Amino acid sequence: MSEALDLAHRVLGAAEGEQALALVHSERSGMARFARSEVHQPTLIENDVLELQVVRDGRLGVASGNRTDEDGVRALAARAAEAADSAPADADFPGLAPPAETPQVEGYDEETAALSAEDQARLAAAAIDASKLDLYGFFTSGVTELALASTTGLAVSQSMTDASVLALAAVDGASGYAEQTSWRLGGIDPAGASEQAVEKAEQTRGAVSLEPGSYRAVLEPPAFAELLTYFGYDAFSALSLIEERSYASGRIGKKVFDERFSLADDSLDPRGLPKAFDFEGTPKQRVELVEDGVLTGVVWDRTTAKRAGDGRESTGHAPPSSLRHWGPLPFALSVSGGEAASGHELAELVDDGIYITRLHYLSIVDAREGVITGMTRDGTFRVRGGKIADPLVNLRFTVCVPELLADLPGLTRDSVLLNQSAYYDERYPTGMLSPAVATGRFDVTGVGSGPGV
Amino acid sequence: MRELCEQAVAAALGAGASYADARVVVRRSQVVGTRNQRVERLDDSETQGIGVRVLVNGAWGFACDRRLSAEGAGAAAQKACAFAKAAPGGHRRDLAPVEPGQGKFRTHVERDPFEVALADKVELCLRAEAALEHEDVQVTSASVRAQKEHKVFASSEGAATEQELVECGGGIDALASRNGVTQIRSYPSAHGGSSSQAGWEFIEGLGLEREAPRVGEQAAALLKAPPCPSQVTTVVIDAEQMELQVHESVGHPTELDRVYGTEAAYAGTSFLKPEDLGSLRYGSEHMNVTADSTTPGGLGTFGFDDEGVPAGREPIVAAGVLTGFLTSRETAAKIGSGSGGSMRADNWSRMPLVRMTNLHLEPGEGSFEELIGGVDEGLYLETNKSWSIDDKRLNFQFGTQVAWEIKDGKLGGMLRDATYTGQTPVFWGSLDAVAGPEEWVLHGLTNCGKGQPGQHAHVSHGTSPARFRNVQVGFKQ
Repeated sequence: MSEALDLAHRVLGAAEGEQALALVHSERSGMARFARSEVHQPTLIENDVLELQVVRDGRLGVASGNRTDEDGVRALAARAAEAADSAPADADFPGLAPPAETPQVEGYDEETAALSAEDQARLAAAAIDASKLDLYGFFTSGVTELALASTTGLAVSQSMTDASVLALAAVDGASGYAEQTSWRLGGIDPAGASEQAVEKAEQTRGAVSLEPGSYRAVLEPPAFAELLTYFGYDAFSALSLIEERSYASGRIGKKVFDERFSLADDSLDPRGLPKAFDFEGTPKQRVELVEDGVLTGVVWDRTTAKRAGDGRESTGHAPPSSLRHWGPLPFALSVSGGEAASGHELAELVDDGIYITRLHYLSIVDAREGVITGMTRDGTFRVRGGKIADPLVNLRFTVCVPELLADLPGLTRDSVLLNQSAYYDERYPTGMLSPAVATGRFDVTGVGSGPGV
Repeated sequence: MRELCEQAVAAALGAGASYADARVVVRRSQVVGTRNQRVERLDDSETQGIGVRVLVNGAWGFACDRRLSAEGAGAAAQKACAFAKAAPGGHRRDLAPVEPGQGKFRTHVERDPFEVALADKVELCLRAEAALEHEDVQVTSASVRAQKEHKVFASSEGAATEQELVECGGGIDALASRNGVTQIRSYPSAHGGSSSQAGWEFIEGLGLEREAPRVGEQAAALLKAPPCPSQVTTVVIDAEQMELQVHESVGHPTELDRVYGTEAAYAGTSFLKPEDLGSLRYGSEHMNVTADSTTPGGLGTFGFDDEGVPAGREPIVAAGVLTGFLTSRETAAKIGSGSGGSMRADNWSRMPLVRMTNLHLEPGEGSFEELIGGVDEGLYLETNKSWSIDDKRLNFQFGTQVAWEIKDGKLGGMLRDATYTGQTPVFWGSLDAVAGPEEWVLHGLTNCGKGQPGQHAHVSHGTSPARFRNVQVGFKQ
């Protein structure tokens, strides 16, 4: 039994209630963050968060803490009991997850787990040394363990590793971006990411403005993944669907996107950051969200499944309790690839339009219609005659994502894994598999500053 | 706790640090959230640990440990030094000289929020939610939160501080939906309500139940309101949206670490340069912005920041001219001005960064009615709905939950889906009036993100409604 699962059982043993679920979330991580080619925000974290959910007379309370000694565990149990006693009975409470066989997944790598602070600093230096421009970004790696034990007999645990390098090569008037993420250190090449960022940055010098309007566009994987992630918060969550806030409301089963577009949430895919179960202990399932342009489903947790009725079951997408108000979330989106060999080939399909590397500061303007605004950055170009041409300043866009997805002339064959963790709160590595795409409609609504720092 | 900090600092100096500081934090939080008359969240969380920051040969190191013991303090110090040694920099890092902070600070609290029964918090949320109900409102929600943080700090320069900071907050939302149109209204702020450094009396003063019927009715009314047309017009912006306007287009660009590029890869940089201090025209003569970590009730209020620098008040923009930056001791030393005072860390497991404390738009003169009265034709924009700004903090676009037509100096009909956009100095240059002190409201937000690994800061902004001319409303196609 893992140490975390052992601790979860100890917490469960202290619980005061008819039903209880103990969760242990452990993190050992290091991040060497750099700016102007120097590490300036190096952070080493070690923490074990214990969470206890107890049910007393049909009432649910939750408490968490990070004291693992007997006094700490006892105090945690008392706070959880008090919380439960303060709640009214909940007729919609679905009960705790029963024990179930969890899928065998990859996602743990000994070499990555063994990285020391010195190694993390060395790998950051490898990125910095490979850049002939000032480099900004980080190298990070960590080991996360999630363990759950409950009075239903549930007892699951998973150790996962992750490593990521982010490289922004930038000087006054030029900037380029690259990133790499994997659960295996062997899948990361800090120097390669750095060189890719430099190459992109060199192409952005002398950026010119662009008239607002609707353009055909190529979105590289980081740009497309971020847009789809924001769209997915509401569009593919069962809570939004039930509350009629989702673009999917009234559209399940309908062909609303380009037939080249298929999307799943797949935590089991070894190319991603695999997960075996969710924060309720339910086994993860691959969920088809869009098949050949037809909206086919959303992701569910136990609470939304019970509210929906009709024999609906959780798909294994319960978020951490701190995000419960968001409802179930698609943490592992995966877009099916197309036929194009590269972004350059997509530019040929676009012929006249724009080419976008990365987005910045997205915000949902209208969740129901899928309208999202944000800026482009670190590699925006004009496409003319099917070729990537003049660099552009950063563009303000306000796009209706379903309209963007309704006309996808092409996607690249290969998908890349994009890190979706900003490392707030406890580490829980998530990522999205995305190709680059060409779209027939990308609405530019303003211009911002030029590339560079 | 003090002994642990001193042990950690001593261990760091012994391991080669030229400077070290240590923070012990014990934080307790409660969140109660209800949705459609169902308890959605009822969480009581505690976290504690020690964070140690060191300078070794001019390189920073930071490590933390959840164990509040000599072993934990020593381990964090050793690891911080090892990390610093492994990632040496090529430059000196000077810290602005400052008298080492010593003393205690405690939030003034009339009623300890942790002495209010959780059941009473649930009951308050359910009552407020019930008052939101309307036939077109599909989702009602209410939440309250409380936090108490005990923080002890010590540095190798002799700083020794102890603080107890208490926060409370809450809010309500009504989501209306019909025929494929969805609209939301919130009070007192969007995105989880507003918070203050205060006791339970702050929650009681919000009057969530009292305000709820208006919020529910307005959400339903928005379903029938016409969309806001695209136009260039005069806008009056309410105090809540002005909070975010100040936050995004003044607060973040004046963080001096961003000016020096340390956030370039994530949150972005700034259109400002160090040499702009004292000369750059940020906005019109009506624009006066102050950073003030002494404001009663402010989420950024403290006795000492997380470098042990005493709280203070400093003009950032005076009569439209940039007069100050938000600084750390390191960034203040670079420009040879100031002594920091804006370094804050999210809990014990994160390294302090330059953060806003309380950043206020100083009031002007006159009432809200006078502000509206000065508009022949325009819009009154209320309550944030969406927000986005570019990586240098120049091009922004905000959406508000509701817009009201203004005609001949009077408020008129309701409009939905309003957005406005602009370029920071141009927009602030179009400011032609700020309402007076009687309209000035302090709002507190708890979701300001920055840093990698990410950190949430709790920040307050005091603002009055303000009027801007020639603003692009809607999308320019």
